[in-house]
Amino acid sequence: MTATRTGTPRGSFLRLYRLVLRHQLTWGRATVVLGLGFMTALVALAARAGSSSATAATTHGTELINGIAFTTIVPVCALMFASSALGDMVDDRTLVYVWLTPVHRGWLALAATLASITVALPLALVPLTIAAAATGAGSDLIWATALATAVGTIGYCGLFTALGLRFRRALVWGIAYILVWEGFVATASEAAATLSLRAYTASILSQATGVGLRLGTLTMASGIIVPPLVGLAAVGLTTWLLTRTDVD
Amino acid sequence: MSPGAEPMVAVDACTRWFGDVVAVSEVSFTLDAGVTALLGPNGAGKSTLLRLLCGLVAPARGTVRILGRDPRNDVGVHRHMGLVPQQETVFDRLSAFELVELCAGLRGVDDAAAAAAWALGAVELDPADPRPLPTYSRGMRQRVKVAQAIAHRPSVIVLDEPLTGLDPRQRRHMTDLFHALGDQGCCVVVSSHVLEEVERFGSDVLVIVQGRLAAEGDFRAIRDLMDDRPHRVRLRTDRPQEVAGRLLAARTIVGLDVVDIDTVVVETDRVHELRSTVAAVARDADARLWEVVPLDDDLDSVFRYLVGH
Repeated sequence: MTATRTGTPRGSFLRLYRLVLRHQLTWGRATVVLGLGFMTALVALAARAGSSSATAATTHGTELINGIAFTTIVPVCALMFASSALGDMVDDRTLVYVWLTPVHRGWLALAATLASITVALPLALVPLTIAAAATGAGSDLIWATALATAVGTIGYCGLFTALGLRFRRALVWGIAYILVWEGFVATASEAAATLSLRAYTASILSQATGVGLRLGTLTMASGIIVPPLVGLAAVGLTTWLLTRTDVD
Repeated sequence: MSPGAEPMVAVDACTRWFGDVVAVSEVSFTLDAGVTALLGPNGAGKSTLLRLLCGLVAPARGTVRILGRDPRNDVGVHRHMGLVPQQETVFDRLSAFELVELCAGLRGVDDAAAAAAWALGAVELDPADPRPLPTYSRGMRQRVKVAQAIAHRPSVIVLDEPLTGLDPRQRRHMTDLFHALGDQGCCVVVSSHVLEEVERFGSDVLVIVQGRLAAEGDFRAIRDLMDDRPHRVRLRTDRPQEVAGRLLAARTIVGLDVVDIDTVVVETDRVHELRSTVAAVARDADARLWEVVPLDDDLDSVFRYLVGH
């Protein structure tokens, strides 16, 4: 029964992943995210009713999905779950039980981020894809919405997992980031836009549907590749924070 | 410890501050197998010292070594460590078995389920209890915390106020468990501010006052080393003044206070000489000696002297 091996114990990643998953999915959070998503679908239906042609439906639908889904729902959904993945453990001081183990900090960071993605992705993807279909803009917007939701969720979950570990009241910091950085600073210049995840999700929509969108000037390839890379880099940041943080 | 062997716990000139507050200052000590009590008044730096031992915070200066390794940067050593943290919170969606099994698995136990069952049994909890931890009483949660700290059979166990919330029978049981672990070769460090508890843990203490290590070792030996404070001993005899007078004349005692018709409290710098000669002095004085009671060589007195009140 005594521990004898060296290195990270076998099965640690799955244990951590299941633990985070089990603690972050609450009815309250799921209801808020699903509610926002399905509200978007209703707005999309209304927009479709107001569109006079297929071209107008595509334009209005793409702008609507970009305006509501990728400025609000995807980042907020990721924020709600990812900031709690390690943030809740910091707040209730249970981090010590997983920190004081021979598990490499990278596994803990990766498990927390993946658990957040596991919860946030379907809760955002399903209603937003339905909303995209409801606009009547066609299949290009539907698959582009699904793809942009997936890559955006990965990027945001990585960032907000680190944020939850670093800051108390991470929800407030996260909303400030979404409003100030993604919503304001990123629009200042093209260079600033490349530092905003919203520019990459907007570019996927824009390139797929051919509708010109604000910030949507990047290539499809960069839109697909960069957000997951941001998520991966954020896992590295979370790992570094875990090695540096004072644990209560 | 054999000569040249690495101590299980080695703290060398360790200092840690938070902002302007120095929590631990220039603390050095080594520990080996057995139970050592860490005591000090509230805010003395006990919890910070325990966090330093576990690597939960990094020392600003100095070094901490557990089994010769740095607990802050070498996560491998956590496989051999257990901690009962001070806070009561535990993962609120897990049962006791799930928490202990999780911790055992994360610390490298092959059969984590068997280890969890053993550890919960050791603290007299039912491994089959499916209730989530928030439904447990404070004392039961405390026992779960102890179980997760011992399930992987660590070499070094750090316990921060582990008896909080336990009833007297469970306190006794836990104390026996800590002694058993110490006897099996574990280095057990237990913090408490309840001196009665500490005395039950054994005689080896680390006393921390205002972030500094005020004393370490056997508290009776520490008391003997306090030359500046005479020992106080109560004598009950039918001729207290006569007996005390003879002791004073022989310079065995330096002061006396007759507190009752048959009781005198004497102060002495030569407590061993007093113990060995008082019976003969009483016999020479034709007195009956009923009682010789040291008044200030218990842990409480030593502690009060060290903390200065």
